Formats: sequence, C-alpha cells, structure tokens
Amino acid sequence: MPTTRTGPHPVAVGAVLLLVAMIAAALWNSDASGTGARNVGSTEAAPAPAPAPAPGAAPPGATCAPTVTNPGGRNNYDDDAPLDVPLGRGLVITGLVRDTACRPLPGVPVQVWLQTALGSERENRTTVLTGPDGRYRVDTDPAVAQFGEPNVHVAHDVRGPWRAVFQRHVVDSEDTLAVVDLTLVPSS
Amino acid sequence: MSAVRVVGAAAALGGAFLVVLALAGPHLAGAPALLVVSTLAACVAVAALAVQPWLTRRRVGVHVRVGGIVAVLVALHVVALFVEDPDDALFSMSPDGPTRSRMALFATVLLVAVTLLGVLRRRLRWSPATWRFLHGSLAALVVVLGVGHAVLIQGALDGWGTVVLLVLGGLGVVGAVWRLVVVLRRAPRTTDPPPTR
Repeated sequence: MPTTRTGPHPVAVGAVLLLVAMIAAALWNSDASGTGARNVGSTEAAPAPAPAPAPGAAPPGATCAPTVTNPGGRNNYDDDAPLDVPLGRGLVITGLVRDTACRPLPGVPVQVWLQTALGSERENRTTVLTGPDGRYRVDTDPAVAQFGEPNVHVAHDVRGPWRAVFQRHVVDSEDTLAVVDLTLVPSS
Repeated sequence: MSAVRVVGAAAALGGAFLVVLALAGPHLAGAPALLVVSTLAACVAVAALAVQPWLTRRRVGVHVRVGGIVAVLVALHVVALFVEDPDDALFSMSPDGPTRSRMALFATVLLVAVTLLGVLRRRLRWSPATWRFLHGSLAALVVVLGVGHAVLIQGALDGWGTVVLLVLGGLGVVGAVWRLVVVLRRAPRTTDPPPTR
C-alpha cells in the first residue's frame, strides 16, 4: 500500500537519524588537529643555549618514553634537506634530543620543515645537528596555516645508531617558540 | 520581490564577498595557483548551496543546474588540493585527520549521495515524501558539515569571512528545514504531481 503513505518511509527516517548519530560520534572522537598532534607553540622567548652538561647529566635510573612517529609526521618529507640553511626569523623551533635513559644526545641530525609565507612545506626545510647539550635550534619565519592550521614537522631521519622518528605538531601563527623534544631508541 | 530573489541576491553578495576577501587577504598572496582555484571554488560553492533549498519551490530546473555546478565546484576544490599536496590531502582524508577535515570528508560523501539521489529520482521510484526527506535532510547535513569545516579552517576566510560563512550556512539550513517541513506536512495525497522543470 505504498500510495497511501504520506510521510517518509520509517526506514529512511531511521537511517538518517542513525547516520547523524554516527557522524556526531565520529566528529566527537576526532582530534581537533589530527591524531597525536598537540600544540607545541608559545609566545615565549627562545631559551638561551645551556652549557654542555656533565657526562651522565640525567638522574640515575631515569627513563624517558620513546617518541613515537605520529600520523602525518612524514607528510611532505624529503630526505634531501640542506644542512643549516636559514629559513628566516620570527619563530624558533627547538627541542631536546635524548635517549631513553634521558641522556642528551649531541651531534644528532634533526630535520625541520614547515610552511611559511615564503615557502611551502615541500620546499622549506633544513637539517641541523644537536649541540653539546643535546638541543637543536632552527630559526624560521613564522608558520602559516597550511591545510587549515599552521604546523611544524620535526624528524630524526638519518640512518645511524638511532631509529628514525617523524613528528607533526601544530602552532599558532603568532607563536615565537615551538618546542618538540625527541627521545630516540637504538636502531638495532 | 520574492523570497527566492532576496536569498539569491544575498547569497551572490556573500559569495562575491568571500571571493574578494580570499583574493585580497595575505593568505593566498603568492600561494600556488591550484590553492587559489581550490579556495575560490569553495567560496562559490558555499554561496550556491545557500540558495539551493529556496529554489525547490518553483524553480526546480534552476535547482538541478545549480546542484550540478555545486558538485563540479566541490570536485574541483578537492582535486586541486589533492594535486597540490597529495601527502596532506591523504592525511586529511584518513581516519587520523583533524576534525575539520573529517567534516569535509563526510560533507563530500554526502554531497555525492545527495547528487545521486537527484539524478536517480525517477529511477528510484520511492514515494515523494521519502525521496524529499532523504534528499533534503542529507543536503542540510552537507551544508552544516561543509560550512563547519570552512569555519574551523584557519586561513583566507577568518574574521568577517567566518561571519559571512555562517550567514550563508544559516540561509541554506533554514531553507532546507523550511522546505522539508512544508513538503512533509502537505495534505495526504495518493500521488504527487510530477516535478516541474
């Protein structure tokens, strides 16, 4: 008796209600900036370089959780980053690179790439080495929104004693400092 | 002046404002051409979506043509982003993408469904009430999710752009709900007249 029905079929109504509930749940359970991405920016001044720590500076018995590559961390990655090229000024991207015993790791290559007003995320990159205190530092123009939000990529991407990790985190466009620490695990 | 003309004029004005804002702002200055094309396609699509429900009363022919234009504009928006930056486009569409991208993904899939419902209207042989409920309610969801996605995006359409986006989205949603209520509350009828073109 389809001709006597005046309202929409109950199955259609139920299907749309179910769909709305599923979409709401999927949005509620999503991360605003993507899974595993956190806001690492601030408007603080960049920390001054610390003096080289004494050997075994980490407290005995300390453990640091290994950094895990997060989704999107490899976006627009290129293994051919030039060493120590200036990316501008206004934003300092820095962080402490340690092993899982929390000991700073000097001389470890770290690649940083991001979108700024002058260069896209695919061309704007450099690799720097950590200093004696285990910190790396990249001076760059401020990050600009790319795919809806300013974001920075930090990676240890070179084959060597430490396993590669790739990070994608977000900042605000007015931020002057972004801190991304890495805890590396041996590659073997 | 009929309601549809007022809404049409408001939507055209809103769309033109979004286009000018996107082109005049710093965000797209020096941006790759594909990104500019993608953004402008989306600006026009939002304005067209705002007017769509208001066309269903007496201008179904125009509604069908504008629907086709919206589908093409959204396809252009997505494909341009994909070609410009495949890594980030795929990440955005993945289950790990940010909330704003997930909204866009749902809106796009639903727009495909709404467009297919429109194209297949006669072949589906569903009752007019069922077809209208599905087409209209899913279209309202497209507007909510699509505009929500645009509002959450940081970039060319911040500030006044957000206000205009919300007004255009409001026009679309109010129109869709109003039309749904009107067509579903109509007096019982054994058969609806065929759609006028």
